[in-house]
Amino acid sequence: MEEKLGLYDKIFKPRLITLSNGKTVMEKKSRAPLVILVILAATVLSVHITGFKFSTIMKRGYQFWDYLFRMFPPELSYVNSIWQPLFDTIKMSILGSLIGALLAIPFAMLAASNIIKSKVIVVLTRLFFSITRTLPTLVTAMVATFVFGLGTIAGTTSIAIFTFSYVGKLLYEQIETVNMGAFEAMESMGCTKLRAFSVAIIPQIMPGFIANSLYCFEGNVRYASILGYVGAGGIGLIINQTIGWRYYSRLGMIVVILFFTVVIIEYLSMWIRNKLVGEI
Amino acid sequence: MIKFDHVSKIYPNGFKGLKDVSLEIEQGEFVGIIGLSGAGKTTLIRTVNKMHDISEGSLIVDDVEVKNLKGKALRRFRRNIGMIFQSFNLVTRTTVINNVMSAFVPDLPFWRCLFGIYRKEDKIKALEALDNMGILEKAYVRCDQLSGGQQQRVALARTLAQDPKIILADEPVAALDPVTARQVMNDFKKINTERNITVLINIHHVDLALEYVDRIIGIAAGKIVYDGPSKKITEAILSEIYGGDLSKVGSASELERHD
Repeated sequence: MEEKLGLYDKIFKPRLITLSNGKTVMEKKSRAPLVILVILAATVLSVHITGFKFSTIMKRGYQFWDYLFRMFPPELSYVNSIWQPLFDTIKMSILGSLIGALLAIPFAMLAASNIIKSKVIVVLTRLFFSITRTLPTLVTAMVATFVFGLGTIAGTTSIAIFTFSYVGKLLYEQIETVNMGAFEAMESMGCTKLRAFSVAIIPQIMPGFIANSLYCFEGNVRYASILGYVGAGGIGLIINQTIGWRYYSRLGMIVVILFFTVVIIEYLSMWIRNKLVGEI
Repeated sequence: MIKFDHVSKIYPNGFKGLKDVSLEIEQGEFVGIIGLSGAGKTTLIRTVNKMHDISEGSLIVDDVEVKNLKGKALRRFRRNIGMIFQSFNLVTRTTVINNVMSAFVPDLPFWRCLFGIYRKEDKIKALEALDNMGILEKAYVRCDQLSGGQQQRVALARTLAQDPKIILADEPVAALDPVTARQVMNDFKKINTERNITVLINIHHVDLALEYVDRIIGIAAGKIVYDGPSKKITEAILSEIYGGDLSKVGSASELERHD
């Protein structure tokens, strides 16, 4: 059977390989040069548009270190004022990640084309995921502060929305790759789609779902630490204050504590995720 | 009783899966359906529980017109029909007993299905079904630890737990080695005779079919070309079912190349 030739193959003709018995095979030319060309053009264009200059980085880059050095030595006695906002941040991340991830399950089911046969529902749910994914966390946090007032509830809400969109997309893509055999068997014995999904699909997606949610949670701890900027509670509040008052040594203390917190959480989550991979 | 009356099935792409099929299958029969790949064996079996719709004609199963079934009525109808698949279709990530208990899922409250919390009487019923299939000792093993033959027995136990009147089996032994295939065929025979369950089985291995089933239905290109006792099958009938030259049956790859 003849393979169809695209526009690219018409310009860059495929190579014809002939075997010793006279049979021929067409080897298409690699697409890599085209891809590299497009990436280069995009880079040049974006440098042009943003007015990015290497000379500015060379000239003023050292000031970055200047600010960093001002943070040291950190003010150790400030640590007692950090714990409360730090725990608020972690609480916001845990609760927000949990709510968002759990909410993502039913919506991901509706967005999976192998489970839901109605194209309208699938497209609408995916559109909903796309919209929530394009909302910047800082913006949702700010809107949430208008609704729920200043504080951690606003931060939790915005983290839940972000987790929902992120975990949801990965989840519906994962659902579309599962083995549908057991689902089919459940339907053949008279189960509704929802029941067949919970018995046959959920056990298959669970390890991936937990791993993705944990990965998202790691990132959320970092996101949550800047949400204080818009009044959504947590450690961002005092980061904002110390920068405003130019208490760089206190800022240093916050950065050190935050660093260790993030590292500990990442290691914990990585450990759990590795355990899960072993299960598969 | 299963009654096909001038049933045709046309797929959306125009392919005719079944052409004017008429048959009657009594309760408790053990029927083998043979034919080439793509002849319509799977289509025939899957119309019985409406996993596939029919396009024309009428299909009546236990006094119910199958093509009119929808939603809740269809699901209730399917409770009485078990299905066995070539690739077993178990939830491999969970234990054997959980798979067997999934037969009760349609009748349980939703939260029990979601969290996999089953009643004690369901557990006992599932364990009895496993005992019936001779794999009771594997009840708490994860399914992906089992061999193919054992997995097909778990699938059979799941179907038995469902307590069906009819079992549809789509190439149940095609993925198994000859010895295991024979054991699974014995299990089917046992279920058929002990419980008077109608068994419809699609099968590639003609020799196995002739050995175990009472009645053979031969399909070629969507049409029934033979329907009768397995004892009366002759070389000539087989060559009609398998499209002329019987020597081609031995080498399937040869056939596919001519497609």
